[in-house]
Amino acid sequence: MSALIAIFRGNRLLPSYLIVLALLIIILVAGAQVSDRFLTFRNFSSLFQQMIVLGLVSLGQTFAILLGGIDLSIGALVGAVTVFLASFLEWQPHLMWVAVPAALLLGALVGAINGLLSVTLRVHPLIVTLGMSSVIFGLTLMYRKIPGGSVPIVFEELAYGSFWGVPIPALALVFFFAVAGLWLQRSRSGRMIYFVGGDEEAARLNGVPVNRVKVLAFALAGLCSALAAVFLTAKTGVGDPRIGTALTLQSITPVIVGGTILAGGRGGVLGTFLGVLLVTMLNNLLNFAGVSSYWQWVVQGGIIIIAVGLHRSRGKAQ
Amino acid sequence: MSLPVLELQKIEKVYPGVKPLDQVDFQVLPGEVHALLGENGAGKSTLTKVIGGSTRPNGGSITYLGETVTWRSPRQARDAGIHIIHQELALFPELTVAENILIDHQPRGALGLISQRTRMRRAREVLDMLGVDIDPAARVDDLPLADQQMVEIAKALVGDLRLLILDEPTAVISGREVDLLFDRMRHLRAQGIGIVYISHRLEEIFEIADRVTVLKDGQVVGTRPVAELSRDQMISMMVGREITGIYPPKAARPPVGDPVLRIRGLASGQRVRDVSIELRAGEIVGMAGMVGSGRTEVADAVFGVGPVDGGEILLDGQPLGNHSPAESIARGIGYLTENRKGQGLFLSMPVSLNVVAPALKDVSAGPMIDAARERDIAKEQVAAFSVATPSVKTPVGALSGGNQQKVLFSRWTRISDRLLILDEPTRGVDVGAKVEIYRIIRELADKGLAILMISSELPEVVGLSDRVVVMANGVVTGEVTGDDINEDSIMKYAVASHGVTTATREVLS
Repeated sequence: MSALIAIFRGNRLLPSYLIVLALLIIILVAGAQVSDRFLTFRNFSSLFQQMIVLGLVSLGQTFAILLGGIDLSIGALVGAVTVFLASFLEWQPHLMWVAVPAALLLGALVGAINGLLSVTLRVHPLIVTLGMSSVIFGLTLMYRKIPGGSVPIVFEELAYGSFWGVPIPALALVFFFAVAGLWLQRSRSGRMIYFVGGDEEAARLNGVPVNRVKVLAFALAGLCSALAAVFLTAKTGVGDPRIGTALTLQSITPVIVGGTILAGGRGGVLGTFLGVLLVTMLNNLLNFAGVSSYWQWVVQGGIIIIAVGLHRSRGKAQ
Repeated sequence: MSLPVLELQKIEKVYPGVKPLDQVDFQVLPGEVHALLGENGAGKSTLTKVIGGSTRPNGGSITYLGETVTWRSPRQARDAGIHIIHQELALFPELTVAENILIDHQPRGALGLISQRTRMRRAREVLDMLGVDIDPAARVDDLPLADQQMVEIAKALVGDLRLLILDEPTAVISGREVDLLFDRMRHLRAQGIGIVYISHRLEEIFEIADRVTVLKDGQVVGTRPVAELSRDQMISMMVGREITGIYPPKAARPPVGDPVLRIRGLASGQRVRDVSIELRAGEIVGMAGMVGSGRTEVADAVFGVGPVDGGEILLDGQPLGNHSPAESIARGIGYLTENRKGQGLFLSMPVSLNVVAPALKDVSAGPMIDAARERDIAKEQVAAFSVATPSVKTPVGALSGGNQQKVLFSRWTRISDRLLILDEPTRGVDVGAKVEIYRIIRELADKGLAILMISSELPEVVGLSDRVVVMANGVVTGEVTGDDINEDSIMKYAVASHGVTTATREVLS
């Protein structure tokens, strides 16, 4: 308990994501009380399976927010990529090895365009991606108005298959977060994202190619959206222009809850990972407790506000 | 002798582990400018807060206009006639001058509504009392900074002002505007108002103050009439030790060899029209001029953050033009920007990241950063420049101004071996740290760097430079060398070009 108090008091040595960790422990303890099926391997592997889509879009959002921007085109892009994939695979079920890389390229390209527009027009990413979201959504609807297309059974393995008893999406999630985390913390280009987000003017004076870094960060956000769409298509088996609509806002929650600040330059993917875990486990817990999904929305909203409040009071204590 | 406006006796303020004020006696007479001097952390700001009622002392007594008082709130102190003017002005930029002046005293007309006409009239009266010509209907953010400061002072005059505290008012203005401020201060002093003046600039204290109280580590070192003190005595009181010579000796003979930097007919943006400068290895060239004369813009263009619209810039004979900062860094140029703006430092990030920021390649293996090497280099640099920081993991924003500046020096001198550009290298830095920074600058020049130093503090330009280039209105108006370097010769060129004040005003507004 004293450890918990130290966390909330803002002990300098403890990184801010420990607040989320503390909340997670509370959920774990509560979950064990509510149901004996909660703390089981089975439940956790299904949890990780569910987390993949939210996890990947939040990962993408982390890049955008760390940079001091935000990406509001995530939901529309996810929808568009599922439509692309399901349509392509319906037409050429054997060309998975073409379809998936093409889908990823499409995502990265749209993201790069977001970045380029923001840089060249000097418009805040919030506006650019909001506009882009509408453009993508409109274009997708012209092509397909209702869910359709199909995927081969083998493609669905991505969502439902497992490896040594561990679901593939769970492995993929851990893999992508680990790579992203390592890259952000330890690579030169990752460090530059922090610099630009921390203070753009200072970054410029330190010789950081600010514009290129911005384009890169948004391209990565787009890439993550496309990756999320790949797993989503494998799960649902169809392409649906509207499937991502709620994801845009949902992608922001774990990032902020995980301690990445909206102004940019501070935070990271470990926080986001814990944020995703928190949101997903919370819903899982509420399911076990038989709470309606409407209440889940309410609780989720409350968690965001409380978590950010805790981060802030910690910041002040320092 | 008249009754003091304010008399503090044995004021104590204790926080856990520190004692920012220890048995402080301080007195302000009516019609006196009393300077408060001390290094950063000496207790000046805490003392100001005690006087202004935003902090309550743990011991001692405050006597104001002959009565013992205990302020319950800053509001109460203000209503009693004590007004503090901070460096950051407390104005609403989008409101008019009149609205700002009467912000606490909105005149009510019929039906309790604010009367526009009465407000204008009252505001004009107050501005007349201060003796400044500012349009009360103007929007505050349309005014030059110096006039905004006057509006802030005018606000104080609405009530019955008895004690005015000015906290480093000249940090944001320069030259002629400082003269205007001092002129108005004398005007207020003549009306019997007590003025407490806080500044790091000793020259100003000699010019404006009657008495000076020096604080060190929360204690009063002494209170003396300014006329009885010499500059060196004042510094010794502040620093607590004898300081012989603030400035290191200059280069014995003029530098030889080809110029490191040659700027020819440079035009850049709106403010730089025609600038030619040459710098040789081992020399310190001061760049003087009014704020807004285009000095910083020249530096920006050389480093590649500003445009090169005309003329050319040569480094070691090779052109630099519309280049990126990355290229400048690779060619051996370092740029210490004005630290007040926080430019160049990532304040929320650790010292170590800041030290290696412009040269990530030095600490990388392939595309990845080697954290151990980064830490080692940072530790070495922190030790070499004796930066006072708990560790290299401390966020740079937590350090004092002087130490932040040393971090910048430690960053650039490691990687820049040709040219170092310094923009206001000692702004906001206390005297002890200043002396150290001057020594560092001279040592770097002796090692063979060419140094271009922009500064608004003339004594520093005079004391440190081997040569001084003076700018006004976007052109170089003159150059002085060796024994000819003095404040008068520099000022003569700084105001040489006509219309300087309008340019300054445009820039400041």
